[in-house]
Amino acid sequence: MRKVNFLFPIYLAKIVAAVSRLFNLGAGSTWPGHLAFEQDKQILSWLVSQLKGGVILIAGTNGKTTTSKMIRTILEHGLKKKVVHNEAGANLLNGIVSSLIMATDWRGRIKADWGVFEVDEATLPLALNEFTPKVVVLLNLFRDQLDRYGEVDLIAQKWHKALIGLPRDCSIVLNADDPQIAFLGDKLKARVFYFGLEDSSVILAEKQHAMDSSFCPRCAARLKFEGIYFSHLGHWLCSSCALLRPKVDLSSWDYPLVGIYNRYNTLAAVLVARILGVKDNQIKQSLKDFHPAFGRLEEIAVEGKKIRVLLSKNPTGFNESIRTLNEFPGKKTVLLVLNDQIPDGRDVSWIWDVDFEELGDVGIITSGDRAYDMGLRIKYALQTQNYSSKVKIKEDLKEAIKEGLEAAGDDETLYILPTYSAMLEVREIIAGRKIL
Amino acid sequence: MSKRLKTNDHKLTIGWLYPDLMSTYGDRGNVICLRKRAEWRGIEVVIKEITLETSEKELENCDLLFMGGAQDRQQKIASDDLRKNKGPVIKKMVEGGVPTLFVCAAYQFMGHFYRPAEGEDIPGLGLFDLHTIHPGSDKPRCIGNVVVKTTTSYLVGFENHGGRTYLGKKVEPLGEVVVGYGNNGGDKSEGAVYKNAFGTYLHGPVLPKNPHFADLLLKLALEKKYGKAELVELDDSLEWQTHKFIVKKLGVGV
Repeated sequence: MRKVNFLFPIYLAKIVAAVSRLFNLGAGSTWPGHLAFEQDKQILSWLVSQLKGGVILIAGTNGKTTTSKMIRTILEHGLKKKVVHNEAGANLLNGIVSSLIMATDWRGRIKADWGVFEVDEATLPLALNEFTPKVVVLLNLFRDQLDRYGEVDLIAQKWHKALIGLPRDCSIVLNADDPQIAFLGDKLKARVFYFGLEDSSVILAEKQHAMDSSFCPRCAARLKFEGIYFSHLGHWLCSSCALLRPKVDLSSWDYPLVGIYNRYNTLAAVLVARILGVKDNQIKQSLKDFHPAFGRLEEIAVEGKKIRVLLSKNPTGFNESIRTLNEFPGKKTVLLVLNDQIPDGRDVSWIWDVDFEELGDVGIITSGDRAYDMGLRIKYALQTQNYSSKVKIKEDLKEAIKEGLEAAGDDETLYILPTYSAMLEVREIIAGRKIL
Repeated sequence: MSKRLKTNDHKLTIGWLYPDLMSTYGDRGNVICLRKRAEWRGIEVVIKEITLETSEKELENCDLLFMGGAQDRQQKIASDDLRKNKGPVIKKMVEGGVPTLFVCAAYQFMGHFYRPAEGEDIPGLGLFDLHTIHPGSDKPRCIGNVVVKTTTSYLVGFENHGGRTYLGKKVEPLGEVVVGYGNNGGDKSEGAVYKNAFGTYLHGPVLPKNPHFADLLLKLALEKKYGKAELVELDDSLEWQTHKFIVKKLGVGV
């Protein structure tokens, strides 16, 4: 009879969401859930308990949105199941509550089988406190927004504490190539599965500076890497305590997206699907025409030219964006958009950990709240002191995009590499409408 | 530029302490900045990465030292090595006038001790007459943009530290905070200076946006090595634009 009590917060949330949509107020994906959760903290576990299949949680610094979308696509197309998911970015508890409430009918019943939710680093332990998921996917841990999340080691500690209570019928899917993520599988009651790359053709020749876990998560000695795919992801072992990269359950697939980081996202999603009993041919079929979310590389036609947006929100993400855009042939114009709002992190120091020296001979425009900081970083990445022929600084984002499109010749692509809030602004400008 | 110094035959070795351990906050930018600003003036630069395996002899041969911030676990690995091996050498170099820059965790470690929220005091190198106390994990960290007024100029940066640092009598502050917490959020002091050793909480990183500070370090290093040094002026309009943008953003009228 508990249910009756939840109807008020559910109606409240639905009304707020409808009003927010009607007047295009934004924040429609978090605010309703926030209000409902304020009314009754138990609403989340009650809503989740209605999902017959269960919940899949996806966490990690980079790749949450793409991996979640792949899992969702496989469940919907491969298994023909109804899925509730949170929108990209709405990855705190209020975002999960919002998405669940939007899936309820007027009696508060959810018409879906599965919940696929991406959660941010700090939210994972909170979510595990509220309910027990079927699967937890942990992708990676890189330095990101140190002013907000704290340091990588600290997050890993909190995660392990939260995972240790999960029961045997829960599956934990871990990236074997990230030492700290792999070590999270230690001493768990839940079943642990690993994915990792085994492809010597994409191993890096040189270590990148932005490595966050180059020391043994167990004994703190320096790790040995036989090969690195990027940052600190690779084939590692500790010569001191003999801890080593676990054997993996999945190491290759017919990847639907370019970029090494997308290989990891795909492996994670496919491994989850296999655990849930989806057949390989169903997985392949589902991912055949997979479209990434906005800001994850898809091509957009604007005024007869092409734009590709690659969300680049931390050193490792940025390095991988640069590596990926270097794989595309031809002359390039690159627009770097650096914001310092709360979702980006207020501290922009991290851009000095990005290897902009790898950008090669491209035309560069910088923009965003911290357009000058980004311009200065590029100045110090160039060979010559004369930066002004290579870099243009445009504080106004709209003008910067316009300038970029003009600079890009016919059949050329403008590559936009924005931080998180900058990506939303880019999307708004390109689409010509408000987006959240 | 009348007094253009012939710098073609000049060479600086910049020692970067623990780049793989003590470099979590973009502080690598300080090394990039020092290198570029020297190279643009025709000074040859060697960046010597000094880590656990590096000998003290190689450390001694450096003309300028830099060390940045880190995660706690990595900091512990570095501090063990510092206390046992490299610390005494660094101390001797600082006493001899070698310019050094210590940021955040490295700055704290150069004091007498660090008192964590729980557990025993962690002894430091005692290079600066100061100590740091962590007031407890329930107390807020000092996080945000900073503007510091020094005796001759302003510095801008970003701070992010839990520990509060208190200066002793034998050390001068680097400056006074106009915006931000600085050493301890109480007495307005920021950073510390002893001989040619500078300690600060400023990330940002601090040097690219404060080119006068970068040049001061280079000048001190050249003077120590070659006697007299006059740095050729560079076009720093973008550096100062970035600097002023932050000052303006924070609403400081300087």
